[in-house]
Amino acid sequence: MPLFTLENVDFKNIITYPRIEIQQNALTFICGESGSGKSTLLKLLNGVISPSDGIITYSGKNLDEYTPVMLRREVLLCGQSAFLFEGSIWDNFNKYRDYRELPPLSPEEARKYLKICAADFSLESPCDTMSGGERQRVFIAICLSFCPKVLLLDEPTSALDDTTANTLMSNVKEFCKRENITLIVISHSKTLAATYADYIITLSHHGSERHGHKFE
Amino acid sequence: MNDIIVLNLWQFALVYLLLIIVLLVMKKCRINRTKLLLIASLRMTVQLVLAGLALTYIFENPHPLFTVLYLMLMTVFAVFTVLSRNKGINKRFKVIVGISLAGTGLSIVGFFIMAVVGVSLFNPQYTIPISGMIIGNAMTGVSLGLRVFNENIHAGRNRINTLINMGVTPERILIPFVNQALETALLPTLNSMIGMGIISLPGMMTGQILSGTMPTTAILYQISIIIAICAVTCLAVFCSLFFGYKTLYNKRQQMCDY
Repeated sequence: MPLFTLENVDFKNIITYPRIEIQQNALTFICGESGSGKSTLLKLLNGVISPSDGIITYSGKNLDEYTPVMLRREVLLCGQSAFLFEGSIWDNFNKYRDYRELPPLSPEEARKYLKICAADFSLESPCDTMSGGERQRVFIAICLSFCPKVLLLDEPTSALDDTTANTLMSNVKEFCKRENITLIVISHSKTLAATYADYIITLSHHGSERHGHKFE
Repeated sequence: MNDIIVLNLWQFALVYLLLIIVLLVMKKCRINRTKLLLIASLRMTVQLVLAGLALTYIFENPHPLFTVLYLMLMTVFAVFTVLSRNKGINKRFKVIVGISLAGTGLSIVGFFIMAVVGVSLFNPQYTIPISGMIIGNAMTGVSLGLRVFNENIHAGRNRINTLINMGVTPERILIPFVNQALETALLPTLNSMIGMGIISLPGMMTGQILSGTMPTTAILYQISIIIAICAVTCLAVFCSLFFGYKTLYNKRQQMCDY
């Protein structure tokens, strides 16, 4: 049974999705031109927006039946604009975990997550002087540390060079496989998708899915 | 105490000469606000003359209906002023701001007139000037609090969306914005209290002393009105924002357009 299914989903008459299925414990890439509804799809999946029409199911149950906040903790959306608070990386780990009502991490664990995200910086580094790519990786590391069941990454490598992008994708994929985390990634990079995807969903301009290739 | 010197109209007109100085400075500094200065002076004069005439009539014919009408007009005007200065908020938020401002303002006025002064709420001589001060200050406070809240919410859009995406409750995310706006709205009142009596003699006290009231009586009025103003600002801003921020998200804990 697929983890997510979308049936005749429409969002404010702007984007319509035909049937989409997303498999559990796999890495699915979502590709397509800008404006084809990729980010909207991720937001629909974790319930920060609701479809105007159609049905989305998660684990066989309609998304509406889940408590919204609990669903978002299980299906974590790691957005494109990596927001970090003022202060050091360590402060950010603590602040975000406090917001999520989770116990603080040990510095070793925090370093482990940073390393997975190719962000081997000192925990004391201040975040306000970091580059966009650095902030992005630190932010993904913080999201990983929540250990969700499904992780939605919106353009996680948009500000990264090819080498760093590859390291990040392969580490994150490996970590998610090990922890049984379903990973759904939006990316513009066809090479990245071809290298790491278990499945690829391509959205066309009007939001309709062209095909769902399967890569084994 | 001496009786008050009634201003002779010709002597009174001399004060308008001061406006010419303002006009000259504005010309010199190329501040293109001549029209505003004229309109503001004119409006102020006409409005106060009308208020003077209305109050004279009401004091001579102290009917409870007039007092109630005056209170209602003042409250409605205050609510519309706040809302016209904060156009960006949603309909439900506006209703909440209106109810909060009117409710807290009138409650504090009632408490002040009936419990502290100890006269009837329908006594125009006390109710009208005191409610003007209380509701006017509540209006300024709510206006400032709302503006700061709105600006911060818009500036913090990225932070809000990021936390929503992660499964943090909107309440937990938005309460710090409420607290900060409340603090900002309270600061002018608190700061003015610090300098009071040394840097400035507040308007109400000045007025009473000019009209022959004993300074010892005037300070009691002044102290109590300042405390009432502090309380009404705090309550009006708190109620507006604390009930208002809940209109920014829906039952599915999704942020509405803001």
